[in-house]
Amino acid sequence: MITKIKNILSEHNLTDDKLSKLLSVSCPRGIDFSDVYFEYSASESWSIEDGIVKNGTSMIDSGVGIRSIAGDKTGFAYSNTFEFRDLTRAAQMSRSIAPFESEKKFQIGSNIDYKKLYEAGSPLERIDDLKKVIFLKEMDVYIRSKNSDVEQVIINLAASHTSMFVINSDGERASDERPLVRFNVMVILKKGDRRERGSAGGGGRFYYDQIFDQNFSRKFADEAIRQAEVNLEAINSKAGSTTVVLGPGWPGVLLHEAIGHGLEGDFNRKQTSAYSGCVGQKVASSDCTIVDDGTLSNRRGSLSIDDEASPTECTTLIEDGILKGYMQDKLNARLMSTKSTGNGRRESYAHLPMPRMTNTFMMPGSFEPGDIISSVKNGIYAANFSGGQVDITNGQFVFTASEAYLIENGKVTRPIKGMTLIGNGPEVLKKVSMVGNDLKLDDGVGTCGKDGQSVPVGVGQPTLKIDEITVGGTEV
Amino acid sequence: MSESGNRVLEHKENILKTTSSMNKNTQAQFNLTISNGVTINYRSNQLENIEHHNDTSLTVTVYNDFKKGSASTNNLSFDSIKQTLDKATNIAINTQKDNCQGLPIESFTTCESEDIGIYFPKHFEIDEATELTKICESAGFEYDKRVSNSEGSSYSQSNSECLILNSEGMYGHFKSTDYSLSCVMLAGDNQAMERDYWYSSTRRYENLESPQEIGKKASSRAISRLNAKTISSRVCPIIFPAEVATSFFNNFLSAINGHAIYKKSSFLLDKLGSEIFPEFITIREDPSIVEGMGTRPFDSDGVLTESKNIINKGILETYLLDTYSARKLNLNCTGNGVLTNILVESSEEQTDNLINLVDEGVIITEMMGSGANLLTGDYSRGAFGYYFKDGQIKYPVTGITVASNLTQMFKNILHVGKDYDIRGNIRTGSILIDKVTIGGT
Repeated sequence: MITKIKNILSEHNLTDDKLSKLLSVSCPRGIDFSDVYFEYSASESWSIEDGIVKNGTSMIDSGVGIRSIAGDKTGFAYSNTFEFRDLTRAAQMSRSIAPFESEKKFQIGSNIDYKKLYEAGSPLERIDDLKKVIFLKEMDVYIRSKNSDVEQVIINLAASHTSMFVINSDGERASDERPLVRFNVMVILKKGDRRERGSAGGGGRFYYDQIFDQNFSRKFADEAIRQAEVNLEAINSKAGSTTVVLGPGWPGVLLHEAIGHGLEGDFNRKQTSAYSGCVGQKVASSDCTIVDDGTLSNRRGSLSIDDEASPTECTTLIEDGILKGYMQDKLNARLMSTKSTGNGRRESYAHLPMPRMTNTFMMPGSFEPGDIISSVKNGIYAANFSGGQVDITNGQFVFTASEAYLIENGKVTRPIKGMTLIGNGPEVLKKVSMVGNDLKLDDGVGTCGKDGQSVPVGVGQPTLKIDEITVGGTEV
Repeated sequence: MSESGNRVLEHKENILKTTSSMNKNTQAQFNLTISNGVTINYRSNQLENIEHHNDTSLTVTVYNDFKKGSASTNNLSFDSIKQTLDKATNIAINTQKDNCQGLPIESFTTCESEDIGIYFPKHFEIDEATELTKICESAGFEYDKRVSNSEGSSYSQSNSECLILNSEGMYGHFKSTDYSLSCVMLAGDNQAMERDYWYSSTRRYENLESPQEIGKKASSRAISRLNAKTISSRVCPIIFPAEVATSFFNNFLSAINGHAIYKKSSFLLDKLGSEIFPEFITIREDPSIVEGMGTRPFDSDGVLTESKNIINKGILETYLLDTYSARKLNLNCTGNGVLTNILVESSEEQTDNLINLVDEGVIITEMMGSGANLLTGDYSRGAFGYYFKDGQIKYPVTGITVASNLTQMFKNILHVGKDYDIRGNIRTGSILIDKVTIGGT
């Protein structure tokens, strides 16, 4: 058991006996399942702008979320104190989803065994604040020395440490400590009247040491400058339907939107996804194998154990174009008569768990990236995206490129501006005709939003070619 | 959910006690928000979820010799408040001096408590709320036989309190309530399924739109999306219905925010006094509309909010400045540490049937993706809509993009309709914009 939560439990005299009493309140006869989720989260961020480290912020959020499930109904309440009296009240509110019958007795189980994918310590406490300030100042000086057109540099450094502890009415008990750090650089360059932005960043479930390593941080600083330089030269793009080659790594956010969300268990149980009832069917070209893997060490989207005490897994979603299965949390798995895939995640104690992605990516194919580009007579090479969105019901998705180029006669030529891609997930995946051998995962900056809840995720893919997709632009 | 008034006073006492030990050169500001409420979801003819919410957040900002630190907590015990203040003070030791930092010296709030017409509490009744969502979803299902599924109807209510005080004697406090009722319906089958929604959002429970209407509108919108086609790429007029126009104007408001201006990250930099919109458009801020969704007496620094023209007859009259950005730009603070109610007004006669004003075009009912670049004004987003010609809606269109540059789009607004959407803090009618590039097949 971990120290932070252990301290909280003992400070508030929350013995095993008291915890089992809480479950008796939240899970009486008539309730099928209940869990009690304790969380203590500390986070901080530091930023430099105009060459000055202007502000640092520190945040503590802690509390207990209690959920009671009867069939497919859920009651939920939380407390931001740890007093037994307040927790009991939350448990009573939570169980009010079903008519009260009578209380049952519970035993608190022993800890679930799982493999730890990251260190347990807090990134916030391992380094003096002054060092963080010095790092930001050095990075700012470095960027300004690299390019004389720099008009603005904003660098952010952020870290969090979340301690969680969950018990449930199935007799499970688990705890985890989760470090997370992130580093971001945004540069604005000005040439004549034109201003353009470039940004880059990285992070993961590790400590600041890795970010403070110049080989790590300068790579992103250089990348932000390069992107802004490219954008200064970008021309307006033409709207219409064309062939698009997506670069490796972060462009995998397309998979996250185009199919990832559509394969989350809740949408499929409710039959509201374009992929509902499609297990076993061919939903993509046979070059496509896509997995959701929460078990990768130190990655931003990874979790040793999910928020419902299920160890994370590597789940094959699509294999050689055939839909294999969905990502599940406990509630949806039970209602669909299957098992949780370790995808039950929540933003915090104050939010209900849902099936969420971890690190979602496409497995490599056999083509050399250069051959993929030279196979396109006229089209677009999208090297990087800023973000995207999907309507899981009709499968329609959208992305905006932050770096894209024309492909002319098999060669990458001029950069183009603010291009938007729009397509239909099920249709577009069938038009994937070449998959590269260069699988790359993103650098650790992804955040996914669903029903108002944000969680850190990872994406990735090799270079791949989509034969035809609609792109936006100002020229016709 | 009602005796919280006394609780806030108790917190005020605790906060003031922590400042007594503060260093003389140090200034501190405390922002406290407390909200509690309930959300229920009703789906497939039964109650699906009840979520009880109860959130607290105290942020302490410390200025020490023009150096800033901030810290927040959700624990309001005296010890926790003290620790949070200490944490912010420690951060301000390491951050760097910036002469623009500090508490506001502008006309700030000192109101003990004031009725600003946005607080209408109501006791939560589970049976009543369940009935409301049940009627809403049923009306959706009964609307048409092509309605095939539902993501349910959702009702929520919450009470919030906002308290601000600082070490220079500022004190402000207000309460507000929020009610909302929404419904998401699906039409069609697995081959071609579409989803759409409708909602009502108010300060007063009694003002919620009728549940039948909300359910019907959600279904009618979902059905009208079926059998959508793509269209060829073209440059044509588009219409943003009022609820989409609000997010369009939000791009404008973000671009004139003082923080975007002093960071030189806005395409509207150096445009004060310039013509941004056509002459017939005036955009006003009014912080004191009764029952307004953006109504607030003071901003996040405690500076009094003010009524003003932002755009007067097409011309940009002011940026939106909080204490810090105003000092940075050497301008007067406009109390815009928050954005209150924004009204988009037209001096021309307004109609609610914009499709009659041009020969053909596309009504954009949904925008997707984040393709508004506020640094350059470049605009490129995914969209869903309806093609219209000769005053009639012909068919739904999907898989299209909308692209232009915001500078041109603002100037090319031909008309602001009279069908105002007042569910959010930006109040505008539908707008008709000329010469936008549609990307299609």
